[in-house]
Amino acid sequence: MSSAVLDTTVPAGDDSLAVETRGLTKRFGNSNAVDGVDLRVPRGSAFGYLGPNGAGKTTLIRVLLGLTHADGGTMSLLGFPVPRHRDRALVRVGAIVDEPRFHGHLTGRQNLRIMAAAREPAAMDRIDASLERVGLSQRANDRVSKYSMGMRQRLGVACCLLGDPQLLILDEPMNGLDPAGMQDMREMIRSFVKEGRTVMLSSHLLDEIERTCDAVAIVDHGKVIRQGAITELLSGTAFELRIECSTPSAARDLVARTAFGSNVTVSDEGLNIGLAPDTKREVIAEVNRVLVEGGIAVYRLEANQASLESWFLEVTSRLGAPE
Amino acid sequence: MTTTPATESAPRLTPASLAVDHRGSPIPTGAMITTRIMELRKRRGLMAALIVVFIGLPVIFLTIRLLAHAFDPRSYGPAGGYNTFSGIVDGALFVFGFIVAATLGCTAGSVDLTEGVFRHLVVTGRSRVALYLARIPAGLAILVPLVAVGFTIVCAVCCLAAPPKVNYDGVNLAPGMSRTAFVSWADAHPGTAICRFSYNGPLQINVPCGPNGIVTNVKSPSGATIAPPTKAQLHKLAIAIANQNYTDYAKTFRSPSDSLMIETGLWIELEAALGFVIGLGLASLMGQRTVPVVLMIILEVILTPLLLHSVIPHLINAQRGLVGLAMAHIEPSALPAVFGNSGNGAPVGVTESTPVAICVIIAWFVVWTALGAWRMAKRDV
Repeated sequence: MSSAVLDTTVPAGDDSLAVETRGLTKRFGNSNAVDGVDLRVPRGSAFGYLGPNGAGKTTLIRVLLGLTHADGGTMSLLGFPVPRHRDRALVRVGAIVDEPRFHGHLTGRQNLRIMAAAREPAAMDRIDASLERVGLSQRANDRVSKYSMGMRQRLGVACCLLGDPQLLILDEPMNGLDPAGMQDMREMIRSFVKEGRTVMLSSHLLDEIERTCDAVAIVDHGKVIRQGAITELLSGTAFELRIECSTPSAARDLVARTAFGSNVTVSDEGLNIGLAPDTKREVIAEVNRVLVEGGIAVYRLEANQASLESWFLEVTSRLGAPE
Repeated sequence: MTTTPATESAPRLTPASLAVDHRGSPIPTGAMITTRIMELRKRRGLMAALIVVFIGLPVIFLTIRLLAHAFDPRSYGPAGGYNTFSGIVDGALFVFGFIVAATLGCTAGSVDLTEGVFRHLVVTGRSRVALYLARIPAGLAILVPLVAVGFTIVCAVCCLAAPPKVNYDGVNLAPGMSRTAFVSWADAHPGTAICRFSYNGPLQINVPCGPNGIVTNVKSPSGATIAPPTKAQLHKLAIAIANQNYTDYAKTFRSPSDSLMIETGLWIELEAALGFVIGLGLASLMGQRTVPVVLMIILEVILTPLLLHSVIPHLINAQRGLVGLAMAHIEPSALPAVFGNSGNGAPVGVTESTPVAICVIIAWFVVWTALGAWRMAKRDV
């Protein structure tokens, strides 16, 4: 029996990372669902794993959690190499994979009892707190078959909380939620991060990732294309200066004669000037001065940084474009 | 509906917190077993089927017999007795009990997969083998008491409402006679003994029997009166028949004995447990419920009786590996043979020794448990 008892040795690993993979690969036949993924999820952050449908997001999560085996590479959760120390790693991991599914003939509380029984004895004592945390206390004794999709998502999160997790892995947690539900889920995730937990969130909803997460990895065709803090990733992107003015075509001619006039277009709203990522704020004032001195009435000036969505599309389409 | 933020911060994973955790162990915890019992117990349809087979059918059958005997005792005999007991055990509890127990096993083995709950259990880090093994005591905790309740009702009625005499070959006799007493009775009633009891031996005299015993004044086709056997000849034949029938008579009881009830109860429990474990393993192996249930019905209702009676010389050892044959072999000897064999637990077709039968039963328990556990441990979920 001694082999079954978890020893007290904490394996060596990067303690600053909640999830770390190197060259992780998972094949289905001839296709690589996960293709040499190097992932570094910092502790205490909300990390978005972003990609289109079929990009291999859920497969990666299943491999991480030991639901299916990896064909190559190494990985660790909370510093524990898996699958070797999987049981120890998962002690403080809570996860929803694909969608939260439960025994429909049982109540929410009864389902949590089943899940808690598979964890440590203290998990049973966390059932009420978990239900309260996700706002399901009032419906805890209703059968799950009567729950809406949003309530099942909440129950899934409650299930994750039974283990008092340091790492939560949530696969598409916004699926099936109405706007209010999404807002609640977003706030809940942010509150987990404030408590020092790490949340790894897979989604194809760029807007949600941008609103919720601190860092992100973009995945496409099983490969991680980019990863890092969202602010850092977007800081390297170009931004656009939108100008509402009296005569956009005349304004375009004026701007075209300046040093920053190489990327000027006219639209229904006015004038759009594409600027390099490192453009200084003074350039905006200079554009305004040129237009006013040229007799153009300027109504509005707005500098727009590229959104995660536009950046994502740019990155993924670049990869998909023929060479 | 709003969420409530927690006030405490998440604890770090420390070596001390890990030291008390045994979730890598393949041995299930008590909490895992009790929650699994709850999950199965809440399946109303399944529980109804179990209750109907193990309790409902015997209760209905016995109630009808009790009422019939109460209203018309001349046409309907007492509700209980040995014959009723053996009929219910072999006819309902053994075969149908196996099938519903297998259905319970198939449900326990597959619902976590089909309802998508197994992956949630796996991501707790709990050993998959422990998750699988928790189902065995849980299922048995439901099954064993149900079988016990149903069987106790059958035993109670069969003992309390037993007929005053035993019915042997249609003749009401005092129960528990010694060979001497049985032979003496036959000697005193030679007509009944000769005409009602079966006899396999040289018949040196011609005894014409009618519905009410020996017919006298029998005429040949030519119209001549045939001389009846002498009294001495009749007595001699009746004694011979009685001696030959005594072994069978000795196994005919007014009501089941205490030892027979205990042996039969354990035998029925074992059959139900076997059905459950095989169903559990098969369903875990296949990852679904319907097909395994159908396969189990085919095994019990078609394959086992067929292979039990048909000796296939080249496959005789494979036939001996059939769990139904092994269970038939260890059937309590005072019961008529299940699957319609010759009786005394000795099948007509394939035979095997008791040690082999015990080994076969243990092997079915172990192999199906191991197969189910292996598949659940290796399955992608």
